[in-house]
Amino acid sequence: MSMPDVIAPSPNITLQARGVSKAFVSGRLRSPVLQDLSLEVHAGELTLISGPSGCGKSTLLSILSGLQSPDTGSVHALGMALSGLNRRQTEHFRLQHTGFVFQGFNLFPALNALEQVELPLGYLGLDRTETRRRAAASLEEVGLGPRMHLRPAELSGGEKQRVAIARALAKEPELLFADEPTSALDAANGQTIIGILHTIARTHGATVLCVSHDPRLVAHADRVLAMEDGRILSDRRRDATHVASPEISS
Amino acid sequence: MVALARKTLIHEWRRFLPAILAVGFAGLLQLLQAALVLGIFGSASVYITKSSADIWAGYPGTQSVSLGQPINRDVAMHLRMDPAVSRVEPFDWVDGNWRGTQGTGGVPVFICGIDPNPDGLMFSQALSPELRARLKEPGAVIVDQADLSSLGVKLGGTGVINGQRVHVVGISHGLRALGGVNVMTSLDTARMLDGDPEDTDRMTFYVAKLRDPAMAASVAERLRGASTFGPYTVWTADDFARRSQMYWILDTGAGAGVLFLAGIVFLVGAVITSQTLMAAVIGSIREYATLNALGVGVGSLRKVVMEQAFWVGAIGLLGSIVLGVLLLLLARSHDVPVTLDPITAVVCLLLGMGLAIVSGLAAMRSLRRADPASLLR
Repeated sequence: MSMPDVIAPSPNITLQARGVSKAFVSGRLRSPVLQDLSLEVHAGELTLISGPSGCGKSTLLSILSGLQSPDTGSVHALGMALSGLNRRQTEHFRLQHTGFVFQGFNLFPALNALEQVELPLGYLGLDRTETRRRAAASLEEVGLGPRMHLRPAELSGGEKQRVAIARALAKEPELLFADEPTSALDAANGQTIIGILHTIARTHGATVLCVSHDPRLVAHADRVLAMEDGRILSDRRRDATHVASPEISS
Repeated sequence: MVALARKTLIHEWRRFLPAILAVGFAGLLQLLQAALVLGIFGSASVYITKSSADIWAGYPGTQSVSLGQPINRDVAMHLRMDPAVSRVEPFDWVDGNWRGTQGTGGVPVFICGIDPNPDGLMFSQALSPELRARLKEPGAVIVDQADLSSLGVKLGGTGVINGQRVHVVGISHGLRALGGVNVMTSLDTARMLDGDPEDTDRMTFYVAKLRDPAMAASVAERLRGASTFGPYTVWTADDFARRSQMYWILDTGAGAGVLFLAGIVFLVGAVITSQTLMAAVIGSIREYATLNALGVGVGSLRKVVMEQAFWVGAIGLLGSIVLGVLLLLLARSHDVPVTLDPITAVVCLLLGMGLAIVSGLAAMRSLRRADPASLLR
């Protein structure tokens, strides 16, 4: 029995990976990164994937977000099979539904905070006033309202990361992916950032998937998946003792 | 939409400066080269372009004004009889050798015998009626400002042409010759300086004014046929001017040289510009990759790069225009022959913009590296 392309998502499950494997080939050497991994991620909570560097967590994030395709297995995001989309469709899916926050803030030096946030909104086809309204609202939400006319060079590292979050948030994405969002920041700024990501999951009902090796973030996550050697070792929820959901392969 | 291309160009102008300069100088070089070539070789047809004749009659196959052969004087009568012709005038071309008093040695000169009357057609746009009237005096000549030093003479000075004494009664501007020096005289003085007895009943050219200058082509066609007056043919002024210029441009190999240099300038400019634009793309590659991760398509990112290339071209060419105008004015003020018609100028500027666009296309390829997955490693 073949899997249908579109599956009815459970009201809460927005990301689903089944039997995902990925290996990197360098010359004759084939190094497996992810091994037959299955996973479900829920909306409205901050899911943290933690693990030592090289455990495959960033690769998992890029596969779940459609930036890379797996060697085997399938990924469904918002009920849609990502492997069935071509490049243009994938870009369109990302434009409509996903936000990204990276370790480096990747802001254009020439644009002020407001313009950084407005930039991707312009490609969504929003009009000028709506673009401006959403961008300003997002910057207010991350606490940068008074500093929205400053360029990256005039902002601190924490502020830059907040601009990057506002840029992702203004699109009102259902899926928000964050890769090591705090590793370039000091403790206090790191706390602020993870706090903002957590709030976004709670107040916007978004699926926030964060990858980090920073142990300080564990306390802020609703759910923590520990990874090692391309496998998920444990799955813990903060508010419950529920462990090891059945979809995790042994 | 946030004007990413323009804002980046302004904010990071130092990064884009080499490209702007490359386009600017390439455009400037093309403009100056074209102006010089047209200016220098325009001298070959100065006899036509500074006169108000509509048609020219001369020996068949004459490639350039300076290569004229004598034709029968009766041709003038034939021209006059045509109802479309309002005035006919002879133009006598005599090769001569100038000997000055300042020890300049022999200088080859082109003696241009013209009608010195105020309504004369020849050089009507370069010599005022007052100036041409001075030619009525026997032995009087006018020489160009630019040739005074090579002749070693001043206004009022004297010299010897073909063994006959002449004196300079006026100075002209913009009548510089190609490969020699123009000396304007009356038809009578030219005859006096012509040592060849065979030329007495013959004339080098006849020029004519038409009642309707727009009819030049059909009148020239009509007057060309007759053979009763010996060999001659008739051109429109525009045709003969172009013919004279092309002869010199091709004969001297200058045309090939110009094209070669234009190609080199284009190539060097494109290499510098594309490298600079590529460096700018690579410098922002993580930001472009982030935009792509957020769903901004590669096509839209390419547009940003092409827009930058366009602005680099536009700013560079604006610089070429400003500098070009200044340099051309400077050249004019020093009697350097430069001319630029609007079409040639536009072609030069389009070449410059083409250079920027080609460079933009080359730089666009660097966007392949804007892979959002690379941001996750």
